[in-house]
Amino acid sequence: MLIAPCLKDDRLNISDLTQIPLISALPLECRQQLSRFLIQRRIPAYQSLVLEGDPAEACFFIQSGTFRVLRTNQDGKVQVLSRLSTGAPINIISLLIPERVNRASVEALTPASVLALNSKDFDSLLASCPEFSTALLRHFAMRISHMTDLAADLSLLSVRTRLARFLIDLADSPNSICDWTQDEIAAQIGTVRDVVGRTLRDFETQGLISRDHQQFVLLDRSGLVREASLNPK
Amino acid sequence: MTQKALPIINFDRCDRCGACVTGCPEQALTMTKAGPVFIQPVNCTYCTACEGFCPTGAIRAPIKVRWALEN
Repeated sequence: MLIAPCLKDDRLNISDLTQIPLISALPLECRQQLSRFLIQRRIPAYQSLVLEGDPAEACFFIQSGTFRVLRTNQDGKVQVLSRLSTGAPINIISLLIPERVNRASVEALTPASVLALNSKDFDSLLASCPEFSTALLRHFAMRISHMTDLAADLSLLSVRTRLARFLIDLADSPNSICDWTQDEIAAQIGTVRDVVGRTLRDFETQGLISRDHQQFVLLDRSGLVREASLNPK
Repeated sequence: MTQKALPIINFDRCDRCGACVTGCPEQALTMTKAGPVFIQPVNCTYCTACEGFCPTGAIRAPIKVRWALEN
């Protein structure tokens, strides 16, 4: 498998950091220090940025594009863990664990641009810029909070409810042109691909949605809102 | 006429195991030296079975979601 070649390395302006929430909130001095370390990399679609099991040599911040996070299970089957888009950091946990190996593979789904921070510079920033450490702590607190919400949803809401909510959110979103696979939807709502497929077929049978080749068309808003246990608009 | 969308095959990920070819209910795929290709693209119903069969995540069958046009 190919690891993404660095198509172009660009010197970075501090203004390039504004779309990365974790970085944009840092004090100017810290951002200036970061901008000296960060290297911009362009990744073609379907190229791997990080390979699971390799030594963790860098973390990344997504400037543009969408990535998916993959893990290979004991049977050699690849499992989609999540999708990441603009602003999200990649591979930070791998730099913080003692083993320092990449915990998952990360692959671009679209042409993408990332800012790379190598492990040595990451360590240096942690030591010299307490605001950077605090920003990382906040980021992980938000991640844990999200995982807690997801765990609560898993125990309190059925897959039908979670999938109906996901479909409504996706169709209502201005970025709904974004394409999701059933594996990625399953990872997002905390289930497996087969259950997503089965539930979509159930919705189709009930007349809530219809399928037109690649497109799922949501037909019955009030029915889906009922499935999603949301208050109707 | 617009061309039908087909699942996307990433040959860098593909190990040519053939699971997609044997699993396709419409026999739309065949295996080549480079990897699987859609030999009968018109047969593809976009059931996404090939994506589910692929053990290496080499096939993506993304779907689009939209509301029906309201009158």
